[in-house]
Amino acid sequence: MDIIIMIVLMATAICAWRGLSRKVVMTLWVIGLVLMLGLFKYHVTSPLHLNF
Amino acid sequence: MTTAPTAVDDTAITDVVAAEAPGLNRTWSKIAFWGIVIFVVGYCGVLLAAMGVQVFGNEKPCPLCMLQRYAMILATIPAMWIVADALRGKLTRARYASGLGMSIVAATCGGFESTRQILLHIASKTDPGYGSAVVGLHLYTWALITFVIVILFCGVALICSGSVIPEAPTDGALRTLARVIEIGFLAVIAINVVLIILLEGFSWVLPDDPTHYKLINDLGFGLH
Repeated sequence: MDIIIMIVLMATAICAWRGLSRKVVMTLWVIGLVLMLGLFKYHVTSPLHLNF
Repeated sequence: MTTAPTAVDDTAITDVVAAEAPGLNRTWSKIAFWGIVIFVVGYCGVLLAAMGVQVFGNEKPCPLCMLQRYAMILATIPAMWIVADALRGKLTRARYASGLGMSIVAATCGGFESTRQILLHIASKTDPGYGSAVVGLHLYTWALITFVIVILFCGVALICSGSVIPEAPTDGALRTLARVIEIGFLAVIAINVVLIILLEGFSWVLPDDPTHYKLINDLGFGLH
């Protein structure tokens, strides 16, 4: 999953750099963000028992 | 009888401000451009430092560390996009504002990830933290500080975006410098792609506490 996210981020950056359409860059960026948040959710496995 | 309010266009606002303070907008537009460039350079430096700790310090990043790198890259892509569009002369106020908004969203998500990792180590009373400290703070604490700085910077830039949008230099050397920085950022991402392929190998996700480059082991070379 990490490899897929990095490839999506690389593609997004290249599209932005090459000046591709706003729709393409935004779509790739949102896909990257959603994948990152999904992976974050996967790695957060337990609540933290903290008292402040 | 009332009349419908008329739309105020951006150009008119800019002209009024420019008339009130001649030279202010163009100066601030140049400052805004270099501010965004410094944003890109800053995160390139942070990502290079993290990769330096990984490669030369032999400290493999944990999954949460990698997630924070993704958030940094996600926050920097819109900034690079703004720089690229300004250099092409195609930067509009709408695209500038949406780029800053994207950076704020990515930095906020990165802030959640950093906070989770900080609290994870606070929750464990015996855990000294993941990896070694740099200037007294662990890398994920520094990451949280950078995310907060990005959110503040983009917030201020958005507040000023009514009268200031980045203006790229017309001078050859400075334009070249900005272009080199763009390519440098792409190179940083490319190095990260190689490193994550080496680290993750044929696994679906990273292990909680990686100790070696898994691809090398997966291919049977067995080197660490």
